[in-house]
Amino acid sequence: MKTTLILGLLTIGLLFPENGTAQSLPSGQSIANNTFARNEGVSLSRTLTMELKDKRGKIRVRKTTSLRKYFGDEKRLVIFYQTPKSVMGTAFLTYDYPDPSIDDDQWLYMPALRKTRRISAANRGDYFLGTDLTYEDIKLETRISRDDYNYKTIGKELINGHESYVLEATPINDDIAKELGYSKAKLWVDAKIWMLRKADSWDVAGNHLKTIEISDVKKVQGIWTYHQIHVKNHKTNHETIFRLSDIDYQTEISDDTFTKGALVNGL
Amino acid sequence: MLHVTDNKTNKYRHMKQQHNATKFFNKVTSYHKMILTLSIIVMIGVALFIPKMTKDTSYDAFLPKDDPILVFRNQTKETFGLKDPMVIAIVNEQGVFNKKTLQLVHELSERLKTIPGIDPDEITSLSTENNIVGTEDGLEVDPFFDINELTEDKAIEVAKAIDGFELYQGSLVSNDHTTTLVVAEMLDSYDKKQHEVYKSLIAMLDEYKTHNEQFYLAGEGAVSGYLIRYIDEDAMKTNPFAAVVISFVLIFAYRRVRGVILPNIMVLASVGIALGAMAAFGVDFFVITNGLPVVLIAIAVADGIHILGEYYETAAKHPEYTQKELVVQTMVHMWRPITITTITTVAGFLAIAASSYMPPMTYFGLFGALGVFVALVYAVFMIPSAMMFLKPQLSRAYKRDQKMDRFGKIMERLGVLVLKYPKTIVVIAIIIVGFGVNGASKLVINEDRIKNFQSDELIVKADALINSKTDGTSYLDILIETPEAEDIFEPKNLLKMEALQNYVETLPHVKGSISIVDFLKKMNQSLNENNPAFYTIPNDKALIAQYFLLYSASGDPTDFDNYVDYDYRLANIRLRMDTSEYLFEKPVVDQTKAYIATHFNNHDIKATTTGKVTVDSYWINRLGFNHFLGAGLALLVVLIFSALSFRSLWAGILTIVPVSISVLFIYTVMGLLDIWLAIGTSMFAAIAIGIGVDFAVHTVDKLKFLLNEKGLSVKEAYNEFYKSAGRALLFNFLALALGFSVLMTSSVPPLSQFGFLVAVAVSVSFIGSLTLLPAIILLVKPKFLNITKQK
Repeated sequence: MKTTLILGLLTIGLLFPENGTAQSLPSGQSIANNTFARNEGVSLSRTLTMELKDKRGKIRVRKTTSLRKYFGDEKRLVIFYQTPKSVMGTAFLTYDYPDPSIDDDQWLYMPALRKTRRISAANRGDYFLGTDLTYEDIKLETRISRDDYNYKTIGKELINGHESYVLEATPINDDIAKELGYSKAKLWVDAKIWMLRKADSWDVAGNHLKTIEISDVKKVQGIWTYHQIHVKNHKTNHETIFRLSDIDYQTEISDDTFTKGALVNGL
Repeated sequence: MLHVTDNKTNKYRHMKQQHNATKFFNKVTSYHKMILTLSIIVMIGVALFIPKMTKDTSYDAFLPKDDPILVFRNQTKETFGLKDPMVIAIVNEQGVFNKKTLQLVHELSERLKTIPGIDPDEITSLSTENNIVGTEDGLEVDPFFDINELTEDKAIEVAKAIDGFELYQGSLVSNDHTTTLVVAEMLDSYDKKQHEVYKSLIAMLDEYKTHNEQFYLAGEGAVSGYLIRYIDEDAMKTNPFAAVVISFVLIFAYRRVRGVILPNIMVLASVGIALGAMAAFGVDFFVITNGLPVVLIAIAVADGIHILGEYYETAAKHPEYTQKELVVQTMVHMWRPITITTITTVAGFLAIAASSYMPPMTYFGLFGALGVFVALVYAVFMIPSAMMFLKPQLSRAYKRDQKMDRFGKIMERLGVLVLKYPKTIVVIAIIIVGFGVNGASKLVINEDRIKNFQSDELIVKADALINSKTDGTSYLDILIETPEAEDIFEPKNLLKMEALQNYVETLPHVKGSISIVDFLKKMNQSLNENNPAFYTIPNDKALIAQYFLLYSASGDPTDFDNYVDYDYRLANIRLRMDTSEYLFEKPVVDQTKAYIATHFNNHDIKATTTGKVTVDSYWINRLGFNHFLGAGLALLVVLIFSALSFRSLWAGILTIVPVSISVLFIYTVMGLLDIWLAIGTSMFAAIAIGIGVDFAVHTVDKLKFLLNEKGLSVKEAYNEFYKSAGRALLFNFLALALGFSVLMTSSVPPLSQFGFLVAVAVSVSFIGSLTLLPAIILLVKPKFLNITKQK
């Protein structure tokens, strides 16, 4: 019985070979546009636990509250550290400008110093607060860049049971490649909800650099929301796990929260 | 047990022994085809393992893998990702801070990442390291330069940045700005293949020959790699040379083809089986193992010399004998002395194995003993079997009319001298003993890895340059342990680490030290308008933790891996020394330990010295003790064995007199020539005793036979002794002395010194056995020789 079914399915596959070939696949650029078109809400508050693991398996856990708000195309993000005790009250604020030629602004408030320090414009390829994600990864979250890559859609695959388009991404020129720290990437974008589900990247020398997996995607208050990001750096064997909880899109966050001054007061 | 058995029992025993021996060698010569075939199959079969042999030239090899000191060091290496580095020095006498040189630094750093065996993430150079700069209101962690924006002006800025970054001064760039280092760590998977990496690096540097800059390659990894190739080349030179020299001695001794070929087959068997067995058991080839083939060549040939000597002597006396009678007769006479000398030599090797804690020496002893034993087995089985294929033959060296050749005459003259001046000889011996005891008390125990090479080798020059220009290539690590995560951030702990660093930097030959403290102080200064007054540890644990968080906003997650563990509970302080000489390393380790004992090790913070310098000073410290233990053990075993086999304690004592004097004589020589008691040289005594005693054994054996059993007068006995046994001993001596002298041509100084010392010791033993020993016998007239009963 089963064999017949499989044979039948195979026959269908052979009869309709255009199923899943390039002609029927959307272009990478349109997929990128779709990821940007996705509803992410305006303000978002959540608990973000960063779990950092070195190659010997030692773990640093940092619990934070992370607030995000869109000001038009500009994204502002503030992270307040709760634990460990030594960094409690430390707050990180970043303004991500949509124009890549304008450097983002970043500040860190250090309670022990009672001062806010400006962090010099990071390269987009610099690591974000000791994690394996770069500033650019954080900025894009689950979207894929509209400007940095030449895409080639090479097929469809299931990621955690979700149909996803597979894209090969090559930086449009060497300068961008150097800036991002990637010479090549392979991306899996959910074909239904236009969310990045998995990404593999290679460093400028062509070594397999890291794998990002975005999982536990559920609708929260009507908005598709991921609850976990796992990053494995294949070169250093360092790992990063972001766990997100207490997600709230509805409570309005005041614009003033995203200012240097507000960092001092904490939450 | 002074002469406990009476003469009759002795004679009866002797006859019975001879009868058994005759039966035994009749059997051997009857099955000669089978035995010869088997001998060759075994030899080739075991030797086939040799290509499987791996080389380990690292210093770690000198400690057993489970030694706690080594285990602790490896754990620390693992925790902080420390490996044996290849250190490239780029020298530009005009200064390295110009566009071209910095470009070169960048290019080399990038190319290193592509070299197999190099860990691409563990390259440290001006182009990979980050500068920590305070900005108006923050902290910037950026590479010292960006290759795309590198200009002459930028290069000058980099110079300024280094001047403001204390911990990179001396460790990355020399204080005079003429030298900068590119440090590359090797992947663990390339352990024992360092020579391949070394070769690739040299090939890479060769491509840059045309530049103004000079390149030097040194460091732990490079030394290991260089050494692997170096000992290979050395073995290719010394081993064939030793075989040639020995063959010449054989030609002179017997002037016959078989007299050269048969002993050489024994040598092949001895060396082939010893090395083949090493490979089969998975034992690594160490630097000192290089001396083993030459040593075995020299020793193994001796049995052959004695057997052939006896054969040609018998053939000259009994022209009527068939080949079988000749061979059996020869072996019946020779099996006992060659067994005794083999056992004493084996005892010498085993004494090294038993007394040494260091695996390379233990294996040298064990497999050396095996090789010597194999030589005996082949002498007893293979030589008589092979001879059965040949016709009886006379040697021109042994003429039928009993006329002596030149060598016999020299020995006869020596006999006359001994009979004339026994007292003078004893007085000279006593003077040598006096000097020797004095020399032994002044022996210098020392070791320096770089001394494994001749002083004009590339690596020696590179090592000297890097040690003189920078903080050096010898590392002493101090592991700091605290009880809880983030306890390293406690200011009181950091202050303790800082004080420890300040202290150790005052010790001689310590050129610098780096720990997390240095980075922290730099961050504090940067965040306070680069004010040098803030190059201090902040007095607030939370602030320190927040500094590191701030750093992570622009640095890499793995930046401090080499200095602090991931949960900030363990830290590493790395000291750099400009010498790898034990005499300088030991006091630094001792004084650091003393400091730690008084200032650390309470329940809040613990410190332990580790790293290469600590490990080396620990095992080298044992060399002296091992040496005297090995020598003592060898003497004791030889004494017991010869006392038993001659059934007289007196005979036992007499046999060890010449070797004891030879060893004492060597101590004087070492003092005069400033030779250290080091890895190679420390083995000389046990070997010299094991080999040197053979002359005394043959002397006592032959004199006992002539005086006691044949009942000759002293004069007759001595005359006969010098003519026959004396001549064979002379060639035995020449083979040994010349064989060990071949080691003197080795380009590995410890081996050449070892060869020199053993050659001198063997000479002294030989002279002592043929002068002092008969002189003492003449004066003391020991009972077991029955001299009083003479006619």
